[in-house]
Amino acid sequence: MKRVRIAAAVGLIAGLAMGGATTAPTTAQGAASTADDGAAAYTQTKHLNRTITIEGQELEIDARDVTVTASRTTDLRGRERIDIGWSGAHPTGGRAASPFGEHGLNQEYPVVILQCRGVDDASLPPEQQLSPSTCWTSTRQQRSQLVDETQAVWRHDKWGTDIDIAQKSGLAPIPPECQDVELFSTRITPFVGASGTVYASCTAETMAPEAAVGAAFPPAELAAFTDAEGNGSVKFEVRSAIENESLGCSDKVACSVVVIPIQGISCRDDNRECMKAGRFLPGQSNFANEGVDLSVSPSLWWSPSNWRNRFSIPLEFGLAPDACDVLDSRPPTGFYGSELMAQASVQWSPAYCLDKKRFKFQHNKMSDEAGFALMENGGGVAALVSSKHDAKGTDPIAYAPIAVTGFSIGYIIDRPDNAGEFTDLRLNARLLAKLMTQSYLASERGRGHPGMSANPVSFNLDPEFQALNPGLDTIAREAAATMLSLSEGSDVLTSLTSYIAQDKQAMEWINGEPDQWGMAVNPSYKKLKLPVAEWPLLDDYVPPTHDECYAQNPAPYFTQVAAPINSLRKIAEAVLDAWPNVQTKCERATSTDPWKIGRIDRQGVGTRMMLGLVSVADARRFGLREASLETRRGSFVGPTESAMARAVATAEPSKNGDEPFTLEMTDLIKAGNAYPGTMIVYTAARTSGLDKADATKVAEFIKIATTEGQRPGFGNGELPPGFLALKKTGATAAMFKQAAGVAESIADQSGKVDDGTDEGTQGDPESGTSEEPETSTIDGPGSVTNVSPPDPEPVPTAAPSGAGKPVKVKPTKTPKPKPVAMPDTEPVSSALAAQLIPVLLAIAILGALAASLLRLGLSRRRQS
Amino acid sequence: MTALVERPTTAPTGSGSSAPKPAAPILPTTPTRQAIDVVSTTATMLALVATWAAVQMLFLGGLSQQREQSALYDQFRGELAAATAPMGPVTPLGDPVALISLPHLGVEQVVVEGTASSDLLAGPGHLRNTVLPGQVGTSVLLGRAKTYGAPFGSIARLRLADTIRVVTAQGAKQFSVIGVRRAGDPLPQPRPEGAARIVLASAEGSGRFADLTPGEVVYVDAEAKKGFPAPAGLPTAVPDPEQPMGTEQGALPLLALCLGLLLAMTLGVIAARQRWSAATVWVITTPVVIALAWQTTDVVMRLLPNLL
Repeated sequence: MKRVRIAAAVGLIAGLAMGGATTAPTTAQGAASTADDGAAAYTQTKHLNRTITIEGQELEIDARDVTVTASRTTDLRGRERIDIGWSGAHPTGGRAASPFGEHGLNQEYPVVILQCRGVDDASLPPEQQLSPSTCWTSTRQQRSQLVDETQAVWRHDKWGTDIDIAQKSGLAPIPPECQDVELFSTRITPFVGASGTVYASCTAETMAPEAAVGAAFPPAELAAFTDAEGNGSVKFEVRSAIENESLGCSDKVACSVVVIPIQGISCRDDNRECMKAGRFLPGQSNFANEGVDLSVSPSLWWSPSNWRNRFSIPLEFGLAPDACDVLDSRPPTGFYGSELMAQASVQWSPAYCLDKKRFKFQHNKMSDEAGFALMENGGGVAALVSSKHDAKGTDPIAYAPIAVTGFSIGYIIDRPDNAGEFTDLRLNARLLAKLMTQSYLASERGRGHPGMSANPVSFNLDPEFQALNPGLDTIAREAAATMLSLSEGSDVLTSLTSYIAQDKQAMEWINGEPDQWGMAVNPSYKKLKLPVAEWPLLDDYVPPTHDECYAQNPAPYFTQVAAPINSLRKIAEAVLDAWPNVQTKCERATSTDPWKIGRIDRQGVGTRMMLGLVSVADARRFGLREASLETRRGSFVGPTESAMARAVATAEPSKNGDEPFTLEMTDLIKAGNAYPGTMIVYTAARTSGLDKADATKVAEFIKIATTEGQRPGFGNGELPPGFLALKKTGATAAMFKQAAGVAESIADQSGKVDDGTDEGTQGDPESGTSEEPETSTIDGPGSVTNVSPPDPEPVPTAAPSGAGKPVKVKPTKTPKPKPVAMPDTEPVSSALAAQLIPVLLAIAILGALAASLLRLGLSRRRQS
Repeated sequence: MTALVERPTTAPTGSGSSAPKPAAPILPTTPTRQAIDVVSTTATMLALVATWAAVQMLFLGGLSQQREQSALYDQFRGELAAATAPMGPVTPLGDPVALISLPHLGVEQVVVEGTASSDLLAGPGHLRNTVLPGQVGTSVLLGRAKTYGAPFGSIARLRLADTIRVVTAQGAKQFSVIGVRRAGDPLPQPRPEGAARIVLASAEGSGRFADLTPGEVVYVDAEAKKGFPAPAGLPTAVPDPEQPMGTEQGALPLLALCLGLLLAMTLGVIAARQRWSAATVWVITTPVVIALAWQTTDVVMRLLPNLL
């Protein structure tokens, strides 16, 4: 067999050996790092070849023009994924299920993609240039080789210097912890951290700390697959210094993505191992993880033959999320609320804090409701919300639209047989209802749940899902029984559940009517009223068990499977990592420790299947795939900008021009081609009673956010993808206009204080006081720039008539010099107190009179 | 008790059925005469009970309140001198917490902790879920309007900018009145940062017998620019009996006990009268009966609105 392979290699050599003398890889086309057409930020083509030497004669056996493109290279943020594509590369053989980290090593002719510190520019000082020792890998197998003399292919590398082809190379002297074997050939590619620390990287213990086993982030580096035509593409996740401090890429430290199409080692002598051309056919899979020919494997990416074939894509990182805290010492002005704005505020805030003429903007993420309450009681100057919230105080509130974005269902699903990722997920309202109501069984443990034992175990087994998304595997998984959702209240959940609520089929199903395949709603959620702002966890079914671990940790099973988490970003990262939050894994440190229940493992590439509720902006940043949602029967709409524009076109402005737009889900659905997850984010602030300085800041923010902040881009102050820019014309014209108007009225603080007569929707002062008597003892949250009194004073207003009613105390607002309309003193009276003394006196006088008169009469009669 | 007090004066007739031997001698009884006798005796008793109650509320109660005040003053003075006077946030009920003087009305009172009817028998009370007077925040003091010394009987006569002086463990503080409030008047403006406020609450009447009908709560707000620091940890709410016009229904069992004792005393007197001379019985039982009556009225007061 070996003989056959060699013969094949020689045949290949004969076929290709016509070019004669080899040339160095030539750059056919200069780097185009600033792409004008916007399609690719980086495109480069190189001529790559491989030569072997037979009996002193050099033969070129393979020559290709490889073109590499990258979608984005500037203003990158940590964990962002960029698209990298290539064409003309050698087709990959022995394809592995997972291309990440060491799992990708047993392949032939893959394309190795790494992130390295430094750039390829000979004019820079050496420490700013990249080299194999600044390239990140997460295992030592990717860096170091310790093999028998006969296997040491790199020692026959034509492009290697004498040092490179020595028996021991890479790091001299070899540190003792490497446990080097004297007789073997050793090559060590140390990793040099950003701080200058050298990690020998020859054993697991000598790797950089971020490469520890079970590190927080899964490997990002790839050995990617090239198809038979020589094309391939991947999403490559870049890491900033926040995720990987040793690598240390930031806005200050330039980095590159290095793409190395593995074409095989060019040999300097006729060594058989070096000349090998691979044992797998192009496109063949290597699920068994068999060994591959080292000469064409990605393990030797650092060998000069491979390294010189690199494409290095220079990266520029954007400012770190904490840049404003570091660069600007002014106190921040907090805006509280919707996490939908997170990606925008990362880009917006440097545009404020780096400009000394502006204030320091800070977005604090919390539930819309909490943000709104904080804004109302003066704890925050403004709230970021996406729907109308009921005011509890008396101050008028105005809403300025500042962004159009939405939620989406992010997913990662692999097609069976290593056919790549599934890219066209379609969902309808009833499927979402099934996922949210925990109606899939998740595993046989859920089968005992009363009332739903006939339900499918996970969504990929549900005929309804299969009809919409054909061609997926039918392996039951706990993670595929749920959609990772938010645990806290949010307008996102309101929007999602109103999408379910508008759908007749979905609601009939929730109300107890099984679908045509017999799947019934989880009885705990039967007749649930939708929409809701916070998803309730109602199921309390604890499966009976004999398992020691489950017996020690009894918990509602479906809640463990659903396990919602508290931020959209965490959900997006879970989908990015294909790491479901299902909390059913039993583990214990040693066999004497008690069992613990924890999060299940990451899903293996090839069989990933997970859904998560994410924001459109997060999905775009991380390059997540987003599901299309059904609108009219049979038509599915994804969260594209045009679909969001069509959605906001149905929004109705409020009558008085300072309240949220009416974005009715039924109208969205009726429109047919509008994305149902579209949401409008507003800045809500008081138009009366707000501190003058704060009011100016809020108005300034609205003005900047709706003009400068709506330019699409990745730079400071620009609008990231996932948002529909507000423009003066078109579908968003009314929002733009309202924002300008509201900014004025907030700046003027001219709003009319609601006295409870003009509008029924806002709480009247009385109900406001009675609802929150406890606030009298809570320390008043201060406005960030303007501290309110330490404790809001209790003023007894009154107990209603008679005894036994609590004194109501009224939390007062921030002190202001001008008079404030205060509620009236309520009457407290007691009829008993009023009448007791007169009645006593009357009884005394009448009694005395009566007694004396009677006595008098008696004595008269006696005398007579 | 009234039966006893009365007995010596109307002894011959006796009351109702249990007419023992003193009833026999003078005249043969006719039904009419008997009825008149009963009605007259009942009226006398009612008059006596009502008179006693009114007298104790309006006059005798004042005496006991003065005595309490004098004892409290001594105690508070000692505590101030020893720097052990309470500073909040939680003080045992009934302890003196402040000395308040209203110079324009000639009132000087020791304020006790707690505002239930029984606490206010001793003097003005401090609403427990508010800061102590003089501390940053709003402090609420309740005082009786007509009975038991009527310490806050005339607070409605205070005028704008009148002074109120308060002495507490943290020092003396002078407040100036910013308004008198009745039902329907707007609450005062929000308290400026760092200021201390006190609200005096009492009751007042309306109409012709205004002095005798304290049925409506009246508030006096006063403010000092800079308050003493207030400790954290105030209770969030107080029970109903401590709210303005609250009553202590919990005193009912005690009242039953007092009335039972009175009844036992009556029977005791009747029994004693058969053995001993009237003079002896008089001398022995009068103080006991008065003490019991006094005590019973105090208990009755607890069942009545606290601002009365």
